[in-house]
Amino acid sequence: MEEAFKPKIVGFLCNWCAYAGADLAGVSRLKYSASILPIRVMCSSRIDPLHIITALLNGADGVLVAGCHPGDCHYQQGNYYTRRRFAAVKRILETLGFEPERVRLSWVSASEGQRFAQVIGDFTRKIAELGPAPCRTEAFL
Amino acid sequence: MDTAFTLNEGVEEGLKKILSSLLEKGKIQAAMVLDHTEGGGAAYSLITDPQMMAQTRPLLPLMPANAALALSRLTLKEPLSGPVAAVVRPCELRAFVELVKRGQGSLDHFIFISPVCGGVYPLQETLVKGGIEKKLPEYREAMRQGEIAVDIREACRTCEHFVPTGADMIVAAMGQDDPETHGTVFMQTDRAAELIQDLGEVMIAEKQTEGPLETDLIRKHQGLRRDQKKKLAQEMQLDQSGLDGLIEIFGRCIGCHGCRAVCPICYCELCVFESRDFEPKPVDFERDLSRKGRLRVPPDTLLYHLGRLNHMALSCVGCGSCTDVCPVDIPVSSIFIQVGESLQELFDYLPGRDPEEEVPFTKYETEEFAEFED
Amino acid sequence: MKGAQIPAPKGIADGILSFLKKGLQEGIFDALLLPVKVPAGDSFSYVLMRETDLMDQASPLPPVMPVQGAKALSNLTRYGNGAEKIAVPMRPCEIRAAVELHKLEQVNLENVFLIGLDCPGVLPLKEYLKNPKKGDALYRKALQEWALESPRWVCEICDPVSPEAADLHIGIMGAPRGKLFLIPNTPKGKKLLKRLDLKAESSLASRQTEIKKLAQKRTKNKERALRALRQEVRGPERLLEIFANCINCHNCMRVCPVCYCRQCYFDSEALKMTPDNYLMRAQRKGGLRLMPDTLLFQLGRMSHMSLSCVSCGMCEDACPMDIPVSRIFTLVARDAQIVFGYLAGRSLQEPLPQVIYREEELKEVETPYQETYRPS
Repeated sequence: MEEAFKPKIVGFLCNWCAYAGADLAGVSRLKYSASILPIRVMCSSRIDPLHIITALLNGADGVLVAGCHPGDCHYQQGNYYTRRRFAAVKRILETLGFEPERVRLSWVSASEGQRFAQVIGDFTRKIAELGPAPCRTEAFL
Repeated sequence: MDTAFTLNEGVEEGLKKILSSLLEKGKIQAAMVLDHTEGGGAAYSLITDPQMMAQTRPLLPLMPANAALALSRLTLKEPLSGPVAAVVRPCELRAFVELVKRGQGSLDHFIFISPVCGGVYPLQETLVKGGIEKKLPEYREAMRQGEIAVDIREACRTCEHFVPTGADMIVAAMGQDDPETHGTVFMQTDRAAELIQDLGEVMIAEKQTEGPLETDLIRKHQGLRRDQKKKLAQEMQLDQSGLDGLIEIFGRCIGCHGCRAVCPICYCELCVFESRDFEPKPVDFERDLSRKGRLRVPPDTLLYHLGRLNHMALSCVGCGSCTDVCPVDIPVSSIFIQVGESLQELFDYLPGRDPEEEVPFTKYETEEFAEFED
Repeated sequence: MKGAQIPAPKGIADGILSFLKKGLQEGIFDALLLPVKVPAGDSFSYVLMRETDLMDQASPLPPVMPVQGAKALSNLTRYGNGAEKIAVPMRPCEIRAAVELHKLEQVNLENVFLIGLDCPGVLPLKEYLKNPKKGDALYRKALQEWALESPRWVCEICDPVSPEAADLHIGIMGAPRGKLFLIPNTPKGKKLLKRLDLKAESSLASRQTEIKKLAQKRTKNKERALRALRQEVRGPERLLEIFANCINCHNCMRVCPVCYCRQCYFDSEALKMTPDNYLMRAQRKGGLRLMPDTLLFQLGRMSHMSLSCVSCGMCEDACPMDIPVSRIFTLVARDAQIVFGYLAGRSLQEPLPQVIYREEELKEVETPYQETYRPS
């Protein structure tokens, strides 16, 4: 019997907001899909497009970038740059038909434990629909 | 401003005489132009001796290396200390402007002379018997008619930006009545007009053009280029590629990184893809092997191309040097130009159009791109 | 010298692949590094494999060499050996390059079984790419008849036909019909034979005759070709002409297995000057070619890597301007290596010439003390 596909999502979470929000979800015992592999970064703008692409090419079913809401960045403007950089990555994937739906940018504040759980649930569902990443078994990358 | 001078010579000869005269009079220290080489090709040359201008081929339809690389090398350490004229194609000038924005050169004291560009031939054309010389008659005819010359680079065939921006002088190699016998040069800046001032005896023709630069012929040519671009997009259907399509396109890639080396925008002295960051360790191979069972060595071919797209496509000027240099004939520019234009449309950005215009990744608006966030 | 025999009833490629597959399935090798046809079918790339599902697309002797095997090996083992024991079948020039890279500490052979192959030569990459299917068919025939019509220049003059640095060598030439020789060259290779339950009992006389014949032919080709080439490149003008079309892309350097520097000197800060420097150089001669320092790059690369050049020909395959790089570099490399009595890739034990010295040597390049300074 084939096992149901369990999405593996790499989540880049900023230390001050998104990661704290995830912590809050945990502390509040909120139930959400164990699909995310959280990676804490100090600011979402630390994310180089290469991180997102490397994750995808290494077989991540989805990549989530989460940070503070625009205007609330711990470092003032970091997340504005994140947004631009992310828009470029997504547009590139779109232009190449490379499943742009597998990457997502969400803003989650430190007090939004519920929202974090919601974002994960929503994204996991979407990824489950897309199926496992084709890169997982591809030898010729 | 459409101040123009029509010369008694064709565009190329006229240009050579202008530069020669400017060198003789000491109005410029040097002129950077395409020069012929022994091998039947051409290479840029920084010329200080007016006599040497006679053998040059400033408008030869060939791009051995994007001139922006040379312009950047000249001014990487410091700006020029005196005036240097440079005859470069529109995409080469735009690439240099992109480099200047990134601190890789300086525009000071340059006098840019750029032709209305009919495109260049692939480098491999010089290796065929007869080489470029054989192509010139049909090239000139196409320029006269406002048609697209057969066999030019695909990047050129589909390029809509063939009228220069940011140049001090524009050589009307297309669009005016007789570019081969009575070339017209448009002065775009005061500096240019100043330089040309007492060039009177250097063959100013009796019948002067009224302008404008952009004639019906130019507009016709623009339409033709646009059609070619659409056609290429339809043929390639890049947005249907997905992983399988990309593996097909880049499958032959041997990881030589020639495309990066000749790209004017890729200026990093040590590219991240050639640095330790991308050198796999035994543990990396073991992990990948245990997960996939087999993997390509050296790895990360697609990562390199997707990564390079992310790093430079926003500033891609579509020169096509990448395709020419590829030893396994991958149409790199076909992909990079389409992705580049898609990004440029997203940010309403045209690389090199304005030296004051910041690279979009270096600034932001507090409210924008809501469609990309959740 | 004796060897074992392995069956190859369905042809050379199949025989080699079956042998490797067996070794993998019996756990003698943990992984294989093999050229495999890419999904689009228009080229080959090395694939490290533990699973055998790609083996029907694999080719131990593909018609072209898009990536130098030693460079792939260096990518795998530059940072040391992994836990896996990897079997790597390679052509003679790839083995030679692996030997040099080992000496340069860019390849770790500890967990690698180097398996040498006889090689009939390889098609020029650009030719193959024009029509890969045709190239495949041509090469299939060439393997059957063991004769390739128009291989690359470096292949025609490749005279170290059977390098001894490989742990095991698969002898195709001189083998009886439907069989291949398996010749152990190193203690590691001998141990491997034992594990495979094979005995080195067959005489290699027939093979040695064929090898000798081919080596003689290739050596003659080489002498003739280099003699002619030497005349052609006489003097700076000729050199300038040959490299006239060089666009300074440095492809040759980047595909070369021996050129391993992460940042090449010729791409570094060292060659980046102020504008006044370039203008001054231009004024001296009336003009300066841009990008500058093309010939400096070529001569410089020669002086940096010639002593380890194994004439694999990657440089010329990668040159977009059809410059005969591999010919010039072969000529220079050979002359340079002869000065030190060195042959790149010949032996793992032979130290790199520039890493050792003797107190008394190379008197012919010195200007003797007595001649220049005679105290009165």
